[in-house]
Amino acid sequence: MSAHAENLTHDDAHGHDGHGALAENNFLGLPNIKLAMWAFLGSECMFFGSLIGTYFFYHGNSLSGPLPKDVFSIGITSISTFLLLMSSVTMALAVDSMKQQKPSTARNFILATALLGATFVGFQVLEFHEFYTEKHLVFAGPNASLFGSTFYTMTGFHGTHVTVGVIWLVIMSILIQKKKLVPGKEAVNVEVMGLYWHFVDIVWIVIFTFVYLLEFLK
Amino acid sequence: MSHGHEADTLGAHGGHALPHSHKKQYIILGIVLSIVTFIELGIPLFKGVPELWSAAQEVWAPLLIVLSIFKFGAVVGDFMHLRNDLTLYKFLFISPLVLAMFSFFAIGSLSVVHFHPFGKGYAVTAQDLADGYVPPTVGGGADAPLADDKFEAAFADAQKTGFAKGKETFTASCVSCHRADGGGMPGLGVNLTDDCYKHGGKIAALYTTIAKGVSGTAMPAWQTSMDSEKLRQVSYYVRSLKGTNAAGGKECEGAKE
Repeated sequence: MSAHAENLTHDDAHGHDGHGALAENNFLGLPNIKLAMWAFLGSECMFFGSLIGTYFFYHGNSLSGPLPKDVFSIGITSISTFLLLMSSVTMALAVDSMKQQKPSTARNFILATALLGATFVGFQVLEFHEFYTEKHLVFAGPNASLFGSTFYTMTGFHGTHVTVGVIWLVIMSILIQKKKLVPGKEAVNVEVMGLYWHFVDIVWIVIFTFVYLLEFLK
Repeated sequence: MSHGHEADTLGAHGGHALPHSHKKQYIILGIVLSIVTFIELGIPLFKGVPELWSAAQEVWAPLLIVLSIFKFGAVVGDFMHLRNDLTLYKFLFISPLVLAMFSFFAIGSLSVVHFHPFGKGYAVTAQDLADGYVPPTVGGGADAPLADDKFEAAFADAQKTGFAKGKETFTASCVSCHRADGGGMPGLGVNLTDDCYKHGGKIAALYTTIAKGVSGTAMPAWQTSMDSEKLRQVSYYVRSLKGTNAAGGKECEGAKE
């Protein structure tokens, strides 16, 4: 795959400096990695669309167990929502700093983003723990309810995405720190990570409004 | 929005100007998004003010949806730069997004038709079933199990075939817990061949129990995999087992009928 991409860049005389082919431009003159990320995020729309759709298809049809209003705590979730939203701001600032050739500023913003993201995941772990142990919202098995299964699947996959993002952010900050990733051509790596991160944020914007907030209007 | 930050940069590559910084824009957008989020969070608090709250469904729900669309658009358009980026990227992202929304709303409208998220308000509980509540999907229209006064004729019809259809379904889906002769198994299915019923022995009650399952037990909601005709036929078959008293069957559970 990467050999193929390298051939393309050679053939099109776009230059090749020995770094990863993903950051190279393809025959369209576009960075491979950015094109790949947008295509991936397109498929992610379908993925989360179906998870959220399934949640609503079964909404209000649980035969047993606690119901959304019994378990949701709007206060806690609001705080984590706000933190995730702010992490998008720091992420955008990190990308901007990298483009402005200020790697250490970029690294600091990336670490801030990672910290906000990790806090979000921490809140989610606490939330799941409370739902499971205290409110008896079960994910699977004979005592599971439709609400439990669809809720945990949907928000669990989102939390996993955030976790992957946090790991990516930490690795990226180390690479910048060690000057293994430098501004200029490789700024696109940070930009693409930002695309992923912002996407995870917009998924939460949808889940928070439709799953949490609208629940409290009923 | 051009800012000169050359002083603490690594030194721009000769002749290449740095792209414009959008720092200020991002911070302003962050503040705007925060304000929008606080407004969203404030809406559920209106619950304490009846005059404001009466408009909940008509005004507040659409408002929340509009605000979330605004946030979504702002993050995608500005933080992800899609607004000023290539049409190719827009196509790659927006076309699956639109498809996802189509399927989302298609599934959503189905759930309104076939279920009743706004009807009873909430999930049907085991208590509701015990109280004789028959959900619309089971109790209404062509899907209805035959009322008890029509039971004799329909039961006789099914009897002519030896309850063959119901027995087929029973053999395929029920015997693993209720045993081939309906005698039941310890810890799993109840004895269907005695006169005792935990959730009612009348045909409508049997139908409802089979369709909706029993929470907290191994009895699943068969309406997810059987159509109403199958549910009807298997209800007749189960009704026909009453009083056959299978040898070695489970002890009586529930009330005698």
